[in-house]
Amino acid sequence: MRFRRIPGDNRNRTVLRSILVGTALFNLFMFTMDSGAETQHNRDPETGIETWEVLDRGMRLSLTQILPDQARAFYQARGFDSDAAEVYAKACLFQTVLRNESGGVIAFRLADWRYLTGKRAFRLKLEPEWQYEWERRNLPEPARIAFRWAQFPLEQTFEPGDWNQGMMACPLPRGARFDLRFKWRADGKMFEGDLKGVRCAEDR
Amino acid sequence: MDEKIYRLADLRGKVVLINFWATWCPPCRKELPSMERLWQQFSKEDFMVLAINVGEDADTIFAFTGTLEPALGFPLLLDRDSAVLKAWPVRGLPTTFVLDREGRVVYRAVGGREFDNPELVAQLRGLLQNRR
Repeated sequence: MRFRRIPGDNRNRTVLRSILVGTALFNLFMFTMDSGAETQHNRDPETGIETWEVLDRGMRLSLTQILPDQARAFYQARGFDSDAAEVYAKACLFQTVLRNESGGVIAFRLADWRYLTGKRAFRLKLEPEWQYEWERRNLPEPARIAFRWAQFPLEQTFEPGDWNQGMMACPLPRGARFDLRFKWRADGKMFEGDLKGVRCAEDR
Repeated sequence: MDEKIYRLADLRGKVVLINFWATWCPPCRKELPSMERLWQQFSKEDFMVLAINVGEDADTIFAFTGTLEPALGFPLLLDRDSAVLKAWPVRGLPTTFVLDREGRVVYRAVGGREFDNPELVAQLRGLLQNRR
């Protein structure tokens, strides 16, 4: 476990611009591959909370159900009124953890990820869409800041050993099943993998 | 949290570890004790740790840090409106940066770490030994 060296002070926007330009160029040449890595499923014997995990070409992704009561309690403790907390708790929520165990640099954008039900693919409901709703409801700024940083990052570049976690929402009903198709870029290629048979938590 | 304002410009000449965290972030909570052990190891050298809490108040932070063993000896800074956080290339919590004596960002770690891990300690020692 090491810190990763940063080639230059990147507090300015130079690196970000480079990434954006690189991403745009890369999109012209990208292709995807599916490895068929197997999803592991686990249910906590005490809480009944379920987790799905896959390790695909060095990307370890896990989704753990967030119960509606957990979501209500978390956000009400951080300045959400009960109605706003209920709006979020109604979504299909997961604690999401992504680890870069590949040995190389990877990048991802949640906007590229899809959840699959039947033969159709849908976008996730991402943090800016939720923030629009919270602004409309005049939620206090501390509540919106907590919401922002509790969500799984919209995009990120991981050095080897980097990882992150946060909440992720699919606008699906309780108990619904889906596959999550996640994508990442590495070595000038785009990869994709599937987390299969994920199920939304019931309200209990 | 003692109303003191820290400026990076005042810390030139020191190696500075800057950590962005929140009490509700599980890996943030987990890594703070190891950060304290690292701080204790290097606190007599030109080394500073700044743990910047995002968006929470002092009562909330104290309620958590009061439970930690060892108790935290490095400064805990408040970024109530996340203005500091927005000035840094942070996408998620926790994220940690290490600045060299010239104030340049030389290392970054995204996600939780064990900061007293021998490899990380050796990297910091290398920076501290560089007195250019």
